Amino acid sequence: MFHWLEKHPFFFAVAVFVMIAFAGLVEILPNFAQASRPLIGTAPYSTLELAGRHVYIKNSCNACHSQLIRPFKSETDRYGHYSRSGEYAYDRPFLWGSKRTGPDLMRVGNYRTTDWHENHMKAPSKIVLDSIMPAFTWMFTNLADINTAYAEQLTVAQFFTVPYNQPVPMKDGSTKVVKMGATLADANALALAEAKVVAADMKDQNVKDAIARGEIPEIVALIAYLNSLK
Amino acid sequence: MNKLYLWGIIMGAVMLVATYFTLVISAGNSGKSISEILSGDIVNALAITGAVALILITIFVVIKYVRQMQTDTANGQLAHENWDGIGEYLNELPMGWSIIFLLTMVWGMWYFIIGYPVNAFSNIGEYNEDVVVHNAKFNEEYKSITGSRLVDMGESVFLAECKVCHGLKADGIDGKAANLNARIEARSVKYVVENGSNNHLLGFESPMPDRNGLFNNNTEALITDAEIDAVSAYVANGMTGAGSDVFAGACAVCHAEDGKGMESVAPNIAAFTPTLVTNVLNHGKKGAIGTMPKFKRLNDKQKEAVGAYITSLSK
Repeated sequence: MFHWLEKHPFFFAVAVFVMIAFAGLVEILPNFAQASRPLIGTAPYSTLELAGRHVYIKNSCNACHSQLIRPFKSETDRYGHYSRSGEYAYDRPFLWGSKRTGPDLMRVGNYRTTDWHENHMKAPSKIVLDSIMPAFTWMFTNLADINTAYAEQLTVAQFFTVPYNQPVPMKDGSTKVVKMGATLADANALALAEAKVVAADMKDQNVKDAIARGEIPEIVALIAYLNSLK
Repeated sequence: MNKLYLWGIIMGAVMLVATYFTLVISAGNSGKSISEILSGDIVNALAITGAVALILITIFVVIKYVRQMQTDTANGQLAHENWDGIGEYLNELPMGWSIIFLLTMVWGMWYFIIGYPVNAFSNIGEYNEDVVVHNAKFNEEYKSITGSRLVDMGESVFLAECKVCHGLKADGIDGKAANLNARIEARSVKYVVENGSNNHLLGFESPMPDRNGLFNNNTEALITDAEIDAVSAYVANGMTGAGSDVFAGACAVCHAEDGKGMESVAPNIAAFTPTLVTNVLNHGKKGAIGTMPKFKRLNDKQKEAVGAYITSLSK
């Protein structure tokens, strides 16, 4: 066999490729499967949070904000525990980002609250004096796309077995159930219920009016998403 | 004599002389004689002996193999294939090479499993070491600071962590967060009286009742809207002005006559204290203005420092 391969360079090259590829699979796959498993305390996104995530992506927040805390003391002092791969298990796609014009947002839910985000998204430079972040005023009027978020939930639940409506283990030993509506109307009702909780902490009258009408402005979804980043 | 041997002797002599001069130069640099260097440290003597031995062995081996190449002819059975006329003998691998090859494999296994690449380095390990070193340094330098140094540290932590909500001057940026230059604002007092409070300001759960549980001893009735406004203004003014009677009747039972609170019963609402600030940092807070998140990740000294700084603002 080897003598035959030595005389046929093309097949020799194929054999080398197969050999190295196999070695690669043996080395990479088991570790990858282990590392991409969700950590305890990592829960799937709810409908509203997912809609907020779409707002985040649509406005290219990830162009200026990373979501990856490196294991350096200076970073963990500022942003919290360094990121672990299992924490991205439900991120499709992950939003690591490649540049920090603004600060990292991996755990922003730990140290900013709804009312801060509301003030800040309206006029960032009034809150952080030298901030170059633009104001995102349209988020207070544009409505969040709950239908697309629900479609994504259905898809990931079916194809990637994301555990919606199932108990997920949390850090304190309890379990958490992230609900997904059985129908589109269900999903919208769930998202609205969640939005009401967020909007209760907000002061913008237009947002409160919209929620009362049963509409969900983008800002509410985005804040729900940012608050979920812990 | 063979020309090869002659070259060998010349080469050997040159290298030995070079070794000698190296010795002389290093002796000159260190201010000792050559015999002192050689007898003073056995490593030096060993190194020199080794150098001389290496030179002689190298010359001997090179001469042996060069002579062999000059006279040897190849023999043995040729392998079946040949590549553009270049063939390969089917000779056995020399025993020494086989042993070295096997040893290399054993070493490779060791290297892969125990040696360098798999276990020796870890990013997180380096991070953990960094944290230990940093914390030790922090403790050594700041553990016992007090007074103005503590306030300075508090200010720097404030500028890093608290400024984004409370503003550079701790004024709360037009009411978007608490103004820390005074203990408490009237609207906050009003909100707490009306809604009650459970903010762990003492470090543990110790809820204050809402207005339906606040009894004014002077009027022997529940606190009224007018009284709430009066007492809110009184507390916000730094416990001065109108409303002192309401405070004495409804609030002083827990918060004491002077508003400075009571141990394990009610927090100080007349002035900031470092403990109060530490408790807010540990538990967060929800009130009239909004929700403040926890800042548990600050270390104890940093929390104490922020407390000292904030206390110093309203003095």
